[in-house]
Amino acid sequence: MDQSRWETLKSRLRRARKVAGELLYGATVYDWVRDMRRERGEVERLFVLITFGDLLGIPILPPYYTLRLLPYIVPSIERWKRSLLRERDWTDLVEFIEGID
Amino acid sequence: MNAILTIVIAGVGLWLGYFIYAKNINLNIVKPDDSKATPAKMYMDGVDFTPASKNVLFGYQFKSIAALGPIGGPIVAAQWGWLPALIWIILGTFFIGWVQDYASIIVPMRSEGDTFGALSYKLISPRARTILLVFIYLYLLLIMGAFGQVIGITFMSKPAVPFGILSVILMGLLAGQMTYKMKQDIILTTAITVVIAFFGIWLGQTSFITNIFEGLNNALGAGGQKYFWSIVFAIICYLGAVLPIWRWAQPTNYVSFWIVALGMVGGVIGMLVWNFQGGASFGDFPAFTGWTVKGLGPLWPILFVTIACGAISGWHSLVSSSGTARQIEKESDALPVGGGAMWMEMVLAVIALLTATAATGGWAAYQEAYAKGKFGVFAVGLAAFLSHIGIPTSFGVPYGLVFLTIQGLTISYLVVRFMRVASAELLGDAIPVMKNVHVGAIVALVLSLIVIWTGVWQTIWVLFGGANQMMASLALLIITIWLMSQGKQYNWTFWPFIFMYVTTIGALIYTAFWKALPAALAGTKVAGNIIAVVLAVVLLICAFILGYDGWQAISRYRRGEATVEA
Repeated sequence: MDQSRWETLKSRLRRARKVAGELLYGATVYDWVRDMRRERGEVERLFVLITFGDLLGIPILPPYYTLRLLPYIVPSIERWKRSLLRERDWTDLVEFIEGID
Repeated sequence: MNAILTIVIAGVGLWLGYFIYAKNINLNIVKPDDSKATPAKMYMDGVDFTPASKNVLFGYQFKSIAALGPIGGPIVAAQWGWLPALIWIILGTFFIGWVQDYASIIVPMRSEGDTFGALSYKLISPRARTILLVFIYLYLLLIMGAFGQVIGITFMSKPAVPFGILSVILMGLLAGQMTYKMKQDIILTTAITVVIAFFGIWLGQTSFITNIFEGLNNALGAGGQKYFWSIVFAIICYLGAVLPIWRWAQPTNYVSFWIVALGMVGGVIGMLVWNFQGGASFGDFPAFTGWTVKGLGPLWPILFVTIACGAISGWHSLVSSSGTARQIEKESDALPVGGGAMWMEMVLAVIALLTATAATGGWAAYQEAYAKGKFGVFAVGLAAFLSHIGIPTSFGVPYGLVFLTIQGLTISYLVVRFMRVASAELLGDAIPVMKNVHVGAIVALVLSLIVIWTGVWQTIWVLFGGANQMMASLALLIITIWLMSQGKQYNWTFWPFIFMYVTTIGALIYTAFWKALPAALAGTKVAGNIIAVVLAVVLLICAFILGYDGWQAISRYRRGEATVEA
C-alpha cells in the first residue's frame, strides 16, 4: 500500500472513530451534560436576577458588590435577558422529562 | 421467509426512502440553507439553545424516540401475520414517520425555536394548544397504564426479574454518587456499575434468589401479587419522579442504556450468526392470519395505531420540536438527525418483529410466549438470538425480561415526573396544592394505578396508540399549514395527515363503541371498559374540534388571509 492510500485510510479511520464517539456520547452522557448545564444556567440566571434585576425594571437597589461584579457579568447580560424574558410554552416541559427541578 | 431477507427488504426501503425520497424533498422543497443562523446559534443561552454536532444529536434523538414502543407494537401486530406488520413499518416510516420527525425539526427551526404548543396556537387556533395538552396528558396516562400492566404486574411478578431490577437501580444510584459526589471518571464508573448490574441480573435468576421471590408470590396469592408488584412499580416511579434527577433518574437511565444496548448488539450478532448457520427462518409463522384478530380488531384501522413507534409516532414531534430543533447547528443537519433517527427506529421495529417471528421459529411458539405476557415474546426471541453467541437461554430469558422491565421503568418515572410538572403548571394557580412535588406525583400515580388495575391491556394499548397518532395528526397539520404559509409544496405532509387523522378516528370509534362499551354492558371489566370509553370519547371530541379548526386554518391560508413570518 503506498503512502497516500495509507494516509487516506488512516484519516478515514480517525473520522469513523470520531463519528462513533460522538454518536455514543449523544446516546449516553449528552443528556446528563445538558442537565448539568441547565442546572448551572438556572443558578446563574437567579444570581444575575438577584444582583442585576434592575436591568429588567425590577426595583433592586444596586449595592456596592453589584458594581464590583459588573465587569464579570457584562459578557453574559444579553444571554441572560434573552433567556429570562423568553416566552415559554408549556410544551417546553417536554424538556423536563430529562430536565431538572 | 427468514431474518436476513427481512433485513434486506427493510434495507431497500430505508435506502429508497432516505436517499431518494427524503433527500429529494429536503433539497427541492425545504431547501436547507447553511448560511442561515439556526435558533441554536441565534439564541444561544448554553442551556436550551445550544448548537451540537449532528452525530451527537443523532444519538440523542435516537435515544429519545426509541424505547418500548417500537418493540411492543410489532410484537402485538404480528397477530395479523408478519406481512401486514412489516409493510406498515416500512411504508409508514417511508411516507409518514420520517416526514413528521424531520419536519418537526424544520418548522420550529425556521420559526425561531417555537415549540408545537406555541405553533399550534399561532397557526391553527388558541384552543389547538389546549387540545395538544389533552392528547399529551392522556397519552402519558395510557403509557403508564400499558407499561404498568406489562411491567408492574406481569414482569415484576416473575421470580427471576425483581433482583435484576434492584441491581440495576442500585448501580444507577452508585453511578450518580460516583459521578457527582466522588468525582470519578465516567469510564471507570461505567465499567464498575454495568459489570455489577449484569452480575446482579445473573444472580437474580439463580435458584437461591428465585426461590425467595417464588415464596413471596405464593404467600401473596394471585390477587395479592397484582397489587403488591404494581405498588412496587408505583413506588419506584414515585422515587424517580420526586428525587433530584442526578440522584435517581439520570444515572439509572445511564446504566440501563448499557444493559439495553449490549443486549441489542448481542441479539443482532446472534441473529446474523444463526442465519449463516441456516436457521432464523419464520417456520410456519403465517404471512397473514386474517382481516380481523380476536381481542384486537380489524386490520384497518387498529394495526395502524398498534404499531405507532417504529412507523409513525406523535411523541417524536414533541421531542424534535422542543429539544432537537433548538440544538441544530446547520439547517442541513435536520435530515440526518430527524429523518435518520426515525429510519433507525424502523430498523429496531423490524428487529423486534424478527424476535416474534424468526426467533420463536413458528406460530405456536409465538402464541405461547404471547399468552404468557405480550412483550415477553421479545425476551424469548432475544434469548434465542443470544444463544447463538454462547449465552445460555436460562440466562437469556431473564435478561430479556429485565431488559424490557428496566426500559419501561425508566420511561415510566420520567412520565410521572412530566405529569406532575404539567399538572402543577396547569392546575397550580387554581389548586395551589398541585404545585407540591409529592401531591402532583401521587395524583399521577393514583390515576395510573386505576388504569393499571382496571384496564384491559389490548384496549389500553390501542388507546395509547390513538392518543399518540392524534398528536402525529396535529403535528402533520401544523407542518402542512406552515408549508402553505411559506408557499411551499405541501402534499407530502397533507396526505399523511389525512390518513393518520381518519385512521385514528376510526380506531378510537371502534375501540370505544364496538369493543369497550359492549364489553362493559356485558359486565366484563366494567370499570376498566367505562374508563376506556370515556378516554376514547374525550380523544374523539378533541380530534373533531381539531379537525374543524384545522379545516378553518387551511381555508384561511388558501385564501391568503393569514401569513406567518419566515
